[in-house]
Amino acid sequence: MAADSLHNFTLVITGAPYSSQAPQTALSFARAALAKGHTLDRVFLYGDGVHLASALCAPPSDEPHWPAQWAAFLKDNAVPGVACIASALRRGLVNDAEQKRYELPACNLLEPFMIAGLGEWVEATMASSRVIYFHAGA
Amino acid sequence: MAPINTLHILNKAPEHPRSLACMSVLQSGDALLLTENAVLALAVNSIDPGVPVFALAPDLAARGLESGIQGASLVDYAGMVDLTTHAQKLINW
Amino acid sequence: MSTLMVIDQPPYGTWAGREALDMAFSLAAFDQSVTLLFTGSGVNWLRMSQQPGGVEQKSLEKNLSAAPVFGVEAIYADAAACARYGLTVENMIAGVAIASSSELLPKYTHTAFAG
Repeated sequence: MAADSLHNFTLVITGAPYSSQAPQTALSFARAALAKGHTLDRVFLYGDGVHLASALCAPPSDEPHWPAQWAAFLKDNAVPGVACIASALRRGLVNDAEQKRYELPACNLLEPFMIAGLGEWVEATMASSRVIYFHAGA
Repeated sequence: MAPINTLHILNKAPEHPRSLACMSVLQSGDALLLTENAVLALAVNSIDPGVPVFALAPDLAARGLESGIQGASLVDYAGMVDLTTHAQKLINW
Repeated sequence: MSTLMVIDQPPYGTWAGREALDMAFSLAAFDQSVTLLFTGSGVNWLRMSQQPGGVEQKSLEKNLSAAPVFGVEAIYADAAACARYGLTVENMIAGVAIASSSELLPKYTHTAFAG
């Protein structure tokens, strides 16, 4: 893929909100990429990054609500947001289908996030011209 | 902008093992972009990775380091996007 | 498209390595070229005779032994890290090649780190 032309990005977020800066850096990057005319193929949440798709985060009112900000960005720009199913189930993030399957007392996946397998990431590595990882810093 | 083979994007503080590993594999033709905690490398006098260094300005500003920075070109998020599309290849450390 | 999955975090104390291994196996399951590199404290994944019963985890050694079956092309261990942690061909699991990280990294079009 030629440098400096328009690109289609996949962003992979592995750092959790409120324990890493990853969701903020990724969102600022995503906004800047769209502003430059690039395309976001999808955002893939993996490992601790799946906490970004929780509908149950309730940070203090004077702190940014990263799940809500990300959800609004994904909706406004029609970008698919996908949480890895294996990472999500381990960490207590489920949609209604998984709630039924595992007979859990609640579901908590924030719209418009979806739950899907690692195949989504594999496809991203094949289809997107740039795959960028936002890991937890330390 | 000069061509970049691999853009190394580093977000770890200078003492982190991955920071040390990143610094040890930089090659001529590569570039280094410091983000998040990695901008603290610019508060350490001895940084000399031997490749062009860029640093994310909002991360420097947040940490009180934006003024008087030497040895790195400052970029905003738009500049970070440009670096990622300009480089042939990315490694996110 | 060739992927190098880098695992630089030690076994058992963190899940990042397990989840990186899942990523490698997924790529292989979709017939994508993938190679594993263990470096830093991550080379401790490769030590023989892991007995994780006492910490109530599945054996990563066994987990890793499935790599060739899944179609992972190669498993490398960083030479300097192996020397640091006392890993040699005698106490390392089979099928691992010793390499230098700095020589491997430029050879792959896509590099992904564990967590």
